Amino acid sequence: MIQNARVVAALSMRSLRQAFRRPQFLMPIIVFPSLFLTVNVGGAGRATDIPAFPDVAGFLDFELAGAIVQSTMLSAVSGGIALALDIESGFMDRLIAAPIPRTAIVVGRLATTAVMGVIAGVWFVSIGLIFGAEIQGGVPGALLVIVFAAATAAAWGGFGAALALRSGTVSVVQGIFPIVFVIIFLSSAFFPANLLLEPAKSISDWNPMSFIAEGIRDPIVSSISAEPVLEAVAAIAGVMALGALLSIWGLRKRLAT
Amino acid sequence: MPAIEVRQLERSFAGGVKAVQGIDLEVAEGEIYAFLGPNGAGKTTTVRMLTTLLKPTAGAATVAGFDVVKQPGDVRRAIGVALQEAALDPLMTGRELMQLQATLHGIPKADAVRRGDALIERVGLTNAADRRVGTYSGGMRRRLDLGTALVHEPTVLFLDEPTTGLDPASRGAIWEEVRKLNSEGTTVFLTTQYLEEADQLADRVGIIDDGLMAAEGTPRQLKAQVGKPRLELSLAEGTHDACEKVLGRFGEPLPPKDGVVVVALEEGAAGIAPIIRALDEAGIVVHDLHLVEPSLDDVFLEKTGRHLEGADTDEQPAPEPEPA
Amino acid sequence: MRGTWLLMRRAINEVIRVPGAAIPGILAPTLFLLGLTAVFGKLTLLPGFSTSDFMAFILPISVMQSATFSGAATGVNLARDIEQGWFDRLYVSPLSRQALLAGHVFSASLRALMPITAVVTIAVIFGVSIQGPDSLLLAVLLAAAFAATVACYATILALHFRTQQAAPLMQAGAFMLVLFTTSYAPLDLLTGWFQEVARYNPVRFIVEGVRQMSVYGVDWTHTWRALAALAFLAVFFGTLAMRGLVRASDPKA
Repeated sequence: MIQNARVVAALSMRSLRQAFRRPQFLMPIIVFPSLFLTVNVGGAGRATDIPAFPDVAGFLDFELAGAIVQSTMLSAVSGGIALALDIESGFMDRLIAAPIPRTAIVVGRLATTAVMGVIAGVWFVSIGLIFGAEIQGGVPGALLVIVFAAATAAAWGGFGAALALRSGTVSVVQGIFPIVFVIIFLSSAFFPANLLLEPAKSISDWNPMSFIAEGIRDPIVSSISAEPVLEAVAAIAGVMALGALLSIWGLRKRLAT
Repeated sequence: MPAIEVRQLERSFAGGVKAVQGIDLEVAEGEIYAFLGPNGAGKTTTVRMLTTLLKPTAGAATVAGFDVVKQPGDVRRAIGVALQEAALDPLMTGRELMQLQATLHGIPKADAVRRGDALIERVGLTNAADRRVGTYSGGMRRRLDLGTALVHEPTVLFLDEPTTGLDPASRGAIWEEVRKLNSEGTTVFLTTQYLEEADQLADRVGIIDDGLMAAEGTPRQLKAQVGKPRLELSLAEGTHDACEKVLGRFGEPLPPKDGVVVVALEEGAAGIAPIIRALDEAGIVVHDLHLVEPSLDDVFLEKTGRHLEGADTDEQPAPEPEPA
Repeated sequence: MRGTWLLMRRAINEVIRVPGAAIPGILAPTLFLLGLTAVFGKLTLLPGFSTSDFMAFILPISVMQSATFSGAATGVNLARDIEQGWFDRLYVSPLSRQALLAGHVFSASLRALMPITAVVTIAVIFGVSIQGPDSLLLAVLLAAAFAATVACYATILALHFRTQQAAPLMQAGAFMLVLFTTSYAPLDLLTGWFQEVARYNPVRFIVEGVRQMSVYGVDWTHTWRALAALAFLAVFFGTLAMRGLVRASDPKA
């Protein structure tokens, strides 16, 4: 058990080091969502004047959740790309030939993705505070946001890993970037659910991404409330379970060859 | 107990390609066994099956006494692996990779550092250990790969084409290291397309072609099977057919190699003089002449009817024949 | 002149030969057009918004995005050519440096036409009204010319970094220029320092010029401002690109 933890930690450290030594992989996770956040707040900031807009201290406070969610999704895809790169380059053989549990390979990767989620959470909470947002839930609220970010990243990371294991090629994993944006657009990540246009509005009502975004938003725009938080936990758990199943399936397929 | 035992091992791929068609072999403990064959013969596929990276579609194999299919974890603990596409991460440093390998094998931190540094020194990479692998030359990468394969002191070492693409100096360094390891008791199973490598390093050689074993034995045994030395003649243009007619009297001519006529010498070197005399009488001009002792390429040729692709043509130059 | 044409032909051939490669170029602007409308569509409820059709308002952004990606792609291809040594061969040819640059850069304009057409068509299907053929023509011309300008910018980066790794910088850099404008809302409705940046960003005038197609209809003010901004950017990036090209062709020791 301890040995497995050591292996997972070692693989996770390696992936982290890799991410920081390849800054162009890191850029989309922090830089792009930050720029998008800036444009959204600068361009759509007056939305808070719309009567039906929920009661928030500022549009930035509202929008932070969208940036965090976007960042975690992009981390998940980046993790998948890195895994596919390991397969393409043959590094995966080293791991398979070693006496480690097969699942450690995936868990190690997801642990790194979770860390990227933490980084995203900390980053956006920080720049939010710097640029005038208020975390209504206080320190516990901020911590909850960061925990949610880590969990969301790991949850979606399972899908990225599954795709990498199944396809074994980087270009296939890169191909899901458009789908990531579609999933986020069809949710209440960037704008309140009641103000979306159809069909996005109906889809967002059952899109797990909406529940996750609302769970991250709640501690920022109000004190921590049970319903959005619990719904977010359920959504993340559901995505995580599905992602885990798909990863295991992908791993089996790859090792069966 | 044999270090490696293979019975009727087979591997088919999607599309009906049968890369390995049922091979048997045995490697004793402490042996260096070379698996020799051209590209596409099935060497790498076999190694991948023996190192649990690939499942056989039929047959069985044990490594260090453990079944590769039923006891893969035990196999992995006992073997060291250095594969053809060196599985190195260019963004890691040599030291980081060594430490990762040690952790993957469950070696506690303090031991891992000690052993890792010792191995890095053993393969001559102390100065480069903290540089990224991406900056290493091909030879350095192979050495690092070899070093990481040893971190858990395996009893059986698998090397897939360890010197392909290396310059002669690097190749020699790897050979030295393999001999040293073997003298310390490690069984070595290496694949190669270089017959010189098999000839020089191996205690026993297995020749594989097209997924099947063509021959097996010590280099000496194999060459003795083929037996006869041969004469290689470079002739004037247009005299090949006439020459073949003359040589037909002395025995079966062998397939020509790069336009050079080849004939087996039934009676050994003594057979040179009559042949030269016969060619002279027939007015055939011989530009050049080599006496060649049998090589593993000859073994391959006899068993499969082809020359080993990319074979080192390392023949000893013949002593000048004495005119009769 | 012929050299320029040949270079353009080569760039176009790349697209025609691998038609599937054009899809990502159309996918992204379309995705943003539909996605941003679905998300921010109700911004039109704000007083002071110049139209009630949000898709019509952001259509120029999708059009400019298409232009941007075509321009950036040209730079990426140039970087690839440099990496693979093909560009050195061009240097040895008797083509003038101007012809080299012109060929490369105007191919971007031509390549932009396909995604621009696609995205405008999709907008029309979703109910956006085009404010007359003159506005459409003007919008397309402005966007195509902008593509050439972005190509100059990307060329500068390609010549400087000499590697395809600079691709994200080419794409993202240019796209940011387009987004930091009246992209989502009229100038008065923008917030904070973003409003100031948009106010002084020359690309804003080009965006407004293209917006004539879907919102304003052609009027002199929008048109001359767009042309002036375009001229300014073209001269700025064109000169730098030209200098970069000349400097890169100096034989190195």
